[in-house]
Amino acid sequence: MLTRIWKFLCSLKVAVFLASAATLLLMGGSLVMHYHPRIFGGMDHMLLGDWFAGMGNRNLEIAWWLPTAGVLLALLGVNALCCFIDWLFSLRARWRKTGEYLIHLGFVLVLFAYFWGTLSGFRSEGNRLLVGESLPLRDMPGYTLRLDAFEPLFNEKGRPVDMRSTVTLLREGTTLQRQVVKTNSPLIYRDLVVVPGSFGRVAEGFRFFLSGGGGVSLIPGSRTPVAGGFLRVLNFFPDAEKLPDGKAVFRSESLGNPAIELELDRPGFDSWHGWYYLKEGLPFPLVQAGVRLWPTDPVYRLYSVLTVNRDPGAGIALAGALSMFAGVLFAMASFYYKRSRGERPDVL
Amino acid sequence: MTSLQSPLLAGAFALYLFSVVLYLLHVWLRRPLLWRGAFILVLAGFALQTFILGQRWAEAGYLPVTNLFSTQLFFSWALAAIYVYFELRYRIHAAGLFVMVLNLLLLGSALPRDPAIPPLIPSLDTPLFTFHIAFSFTGYAFFTMAFSLGALYLVQRRLASPLLPDLTLLRKVNEESIFLGFCLFTLCLIMGSIWAYIAWGYYFSWNIKGLWSFLVWLFYAGMCHAKFIRRWQGTGYAILSIAGFGVVLFTYLGIGLLLESNHPLN
Repeated sequence: MLTRIWKFLCSLKVAVFLASAATLLLMGGSLVMHYHPRIFGGMDHMLLGDWFAGMGNRNLEIAWWLPTAGVLLALLGVNALCCFIDWLFSLRARWRKTGEYLIHLGFVLVLFAYFWGTLSGFRSEGNRLLVGESLPLRDMPGYTLRLDAFEPLFNEKGRPVDMRSTVTLLREGTTLQRQVVKTNSPLIYRDLVVVPGSFGRVAEGFRFFLSGGGGVSLIPGSRTPVAGGFLRVLNFFPDAEKLPDGKAVFRSESLGNPAIELELDRPGFDSWHGWYYLKEGLPFPLVQAGVRLWPTDPVYRLYSVLTVNRDPGAGIALAGALSMFAGVLFAMASFYYKRSRGERPDVL
Repeated sequence: MTSLQSPLLAGAFALYLFSVVLYLLHVWLRRPLLWRGAFILVLAGFALQTFILGQRWAEAGYLPVTNLFSTQLFFSWALAAIYVYFELRYRIHAAGLFVMVLNLLLLGSALPRDPAIPPLIPSLDTPLFTFHIAFSFTGYAFFTMAFSLGALYLVQRRLASPLLPDLTLLRKVNEESIFLGFCLFTLCLIMGSIWAYIAWGYYFSWNIKGLWSFLVWLFYAGMCHAKFIRRWQGTGYAILSIAGFGVVLFTYLGIGLLLESNHPLN
């Protein structure tokens, strides 16, 4: 009885049936995917397990093929694994099939790795980091990713061609790895991978023409000598909403109604503190103090957008890929060896 | 040198076209001299195409296979190379007619397109991409060869023509095509997956192109097993080879031209 079950599990016909059924199902499913981008469009942006738990589950009537194909492929993986084990037990007689069975093993490993990675780990896109900022990593307490430097690269036509983000991976403040992340050069630490996504810029202040002082940049933290005292920038909102009491509330990062929170200190005078709405003109106390400022253009700061993914199965998948790679080479060599000896395949 | 490419390509096309004419004459007149002449023309066309491809590679600094024209050129070159290999190894003679007609279609549809080499985007600037594409199209070329041989198998089964290789040889060469195509396509997927992981942080994409590439692999993996099952040998295998080519064609052209994918052709 056990022998019969084992033979069934190793059956070539079962393998062909499962592969055919999975192929046909996925063919149909791929077309369903294409015509329902709202449902299936987000599959690459999160773990398949997370996607299925949410979007897939809510649309089971058109996503049912996915778990079914998963089951068929899992069964195919079991079949391939049984064939591999069966081959191991008769290795002496069938050693010339090493290549083919390494491909089987590789397939099993890749499949297992994919299922594992689908159910654990995480995918996190659109992580925006300004230079100096740190990102605590999801599901990894104590781990943070810090952006140390960022430099976009442009071609001669001014089109962005690459992004160089110098990032440091830390655990409890201790550096684990530091690397320049750019296209095709990710930071890989165990099952974690950091790749560049895109970049952008935010206005962090404004440049002004200062009467008698030339151009000055007012950004939070800056201190500019004016009218015998100092003008200190406390805050900057690129787009602010003005409250009845004159205070500003942050509205958005797009440049709309910029406002700067200033403090003027002059010896012998009371210090002044208030908001300067650039579209409204200089506040009267500053004019009275003899400050003459004309806004010219915004001061921008670049940020890097990084993708941080964690796939615990990635290492196993690589092992599977290497097994398949070696299998292909062995199989090709043994194919020509067998052909040269005039051997024909076994027929069932 | 780029300005010379179009006339050189037209020259390669003409050589393949004349080889097809000679193969047709051979089918009609049955003179060994004709198929020898046809094969010499194929070799000349292949040499010219190799020169063009090498020259484009040297000019670009990378294997230019980033748009429809250049992939068609590479695909056609790989198909010619595989035909030359099988002809030299198995002397399949008139069986080359069908392959060369396919090659003419492939190269002919590339000729009206712009041969200019597009600038390489940074994510494609890696040897993994070069290997991924080279293995992919060589694999496709083997599957195309298998399609031709499968179709010829069905013809030969009906006609039993002395012009065509016997059924045993056709079956053997077909199996070899499928096997080598599968091996190379496996390498293509391995390279592509590693590249995707370092470029985007995951090794399998649920994009329709990624899914169909896996389906091509799964289909031919099934075929590599089916050759051991009596029911699927011979005619069944020939029919599967033809069906498999449909899957390849859809993956290469259908998705790129009819649907949206992350592997655009233009």
